Amino acid sequence: MEKDDIVLETKGLKKTFVTNKGKTQVEAVKGINLKVNKGKIFGFLGPNGAGKTTSLSMLTTLLVPTGGDATVVGFDLLKEPEKIREYIGYVSQSGGVDMSANAEDNLILQARLHGASGDVAKKRASELIKQFELSEFAERKTTSYSGGQKRRLDLALGMVHRPKLIFLDEPTTGLDPQSRAHFWEEIRRVKTAGVTIFLTTHYLDEADNLCDYLAIIDQGTIVAEGSPTQLKRQIGRESIIIGFKDMKDLEQAKSLLGKQSYILKLRSEENKLHLYVKDGEKLLVDVLHLLDNHAVEMHSIELAKPSLDDVFLEKTGRSLREEGS
Amino acid sequence: MKLVYDTHILLSRNLKKRFGEKIWFFLGMLQPALYLLLYMPLLKNVGNTSALPLERITQIFVPGMLIIMGISSLFVGFSFIPEIREGFITRLLVTPISRAAILLSFIITQVVVLFLQVIILLFIAFLLGLRSSFEAAFLSLILVALIGITMSSLSYTISIITRSEDALASIVNTLYLPIMLLSGIMLPISLAPDWLKSAARFNPFYYAVEASRALFLENYSAPVIAEGFGIMLLFAVISVWLVVKALRNMTS
Repeated sequence: MEKDDIVLETKGLKKTFVTNKGKTQVEAVKGINLKVNKGKIFGFLGPNGAGKTTSLSMLTTLLVPTGGDATVVGFDLLKEPEKIREYIGYVSQSGGVDMSANAEDNLILQARLHGASGDVAKKRASELIKQFELSEFAERKTTSYSGGQKRRLDLALGMVHRPKLIFLDEPTTGLDPQSRAHFWEEIRRVKTAGVTIFLTTHYLDEADNLCDYLAIIDQGTIVAEGSPTQLKRQIGRESIIIGFKDMKDLEQAKSLLGKQSYILKLRSEENKLHLYVKDGEKLLVDVLHLLDNHAVEMHSIELAKPSLDDVFLEKTGRSLREEGS
Repeated sequence: MKLVYDTHILLSRNLKKRFGEKIWFFLGMLQPALYLLLYMPLLKNVGNTSALPLERITQIFVPGMLIIMGISSLFVGFSFIPEIREGFITRLLVTPISRAAILLSFIITQVVVLFLQVIILLFIAFLLGLRSSFEAAFLSLILVALIGITMSSLSYTISIITRSEDALASIVNTLYLPIMLLSGIMLPISLAPDWLKSAARFNPFYYAVEASRALFLENYSAPVIAEGFGIMLLFAVISVWLVVKALRNMTS
């Protein structure tokens, strides 16, 4: 891979917090290695408290790492944080909108903080108001904005100085489904403009649909990485899920199927039986035949492709869905 | 030069915010006037001195009033904490402007507001019969500015560390009462029992009040003036150092 194609690289990046007057140490990030390619949407997926925000704070020069190295937009994180700030955008979880001003003034201020003169700042603000469809409310105080409107302003603020790389921390947390879908579109448009996006999320669907490449983080360590498709393919199995009305049928099916060599793993959950198999489409027929021949009554059957949650489950032994979101 | 430019950009934003909240700003400006009008008449018969003339009272009370206004800068944290919580401060930290410009702009904002309050107060006091030289007024303004720098820096430090309005409120209240009582602003310390008098010696603002009073009496050779300025300058330096440290700890 060409060196120019990498906008961010970390080597053993580490953060340890010392709390309780030096008595306890919390290893929030335990030495992570990342490579982010230019022009892609890079997703950092993991449960709350996994170390996503801490990592992001280090990469955006807000937090000094305890150990390791990183290069961000071509500059050394430890030696040239001022340079990095010129070329990155950052949208924190809380956003960072100045609630005492309207959208236009927020954008103008941000442009001026990045060194634009008054006229240039004003022009850039009106461009962004158009681009992110803020004109309807741009002159209203930000305190009256809906969640989705505020989020769009947050993103516009991060884009004011045309950064090479923009960091989005949990960009769609707290948005309703419609605003989320709309916001994903905005993020994709930012990507089309040639900006690399580094986002964190604990939503499986967001990681799956939006991101080109994922790093899954748990307890401060990267447990898996790859494109969503690669990651799911790595799991190498599908699941056949059979529902039963009668628990007696479920038990009988369980003992019958348990003897079959093509079943990799078998798990019952409430009135459903999960069979992990390779080549599920073909085996579906065999399973149906087998159960039918033994007069086991089935209520429903479905074939499920591996999900990112299966990846997380395989790597950590826990389900990301159960972590609650 | 960049520092000056960056500070000016944030300073204008901050002032726009302060002046933008018209009602609150107006009430804030009115406060010193209210003190003068409601409190001063009470001083008329203090310590069995039979009715002092009004201009004599203003000469004792107004210098103390100026110091109170400086001390009130302790309250600036209440509008700063929401800005930390909403991520606005973090947003500033990720832009190319320096940390120094951020801190300077927030401290200078308070000094500018203080200047306006002092000028309004001196104008009202003038109407009530206070006569002072330009030098006395000017030097007092500098003294108040030093206190404003000290108290706003302290308030920002507490805000950055606690990030809680509740914590700030209890700390400010705890500091405010002894500082006020032991500075001889509300009531002359000469009325106090000896132990309270000695306690007042440990209150840095006692010296500021003494210095300010000496200035308005145009007693420029009084040693309390140099003492007051020296102590306030020292405290200003210490508290600015504290807030720089607090901001730095925010990112470690």
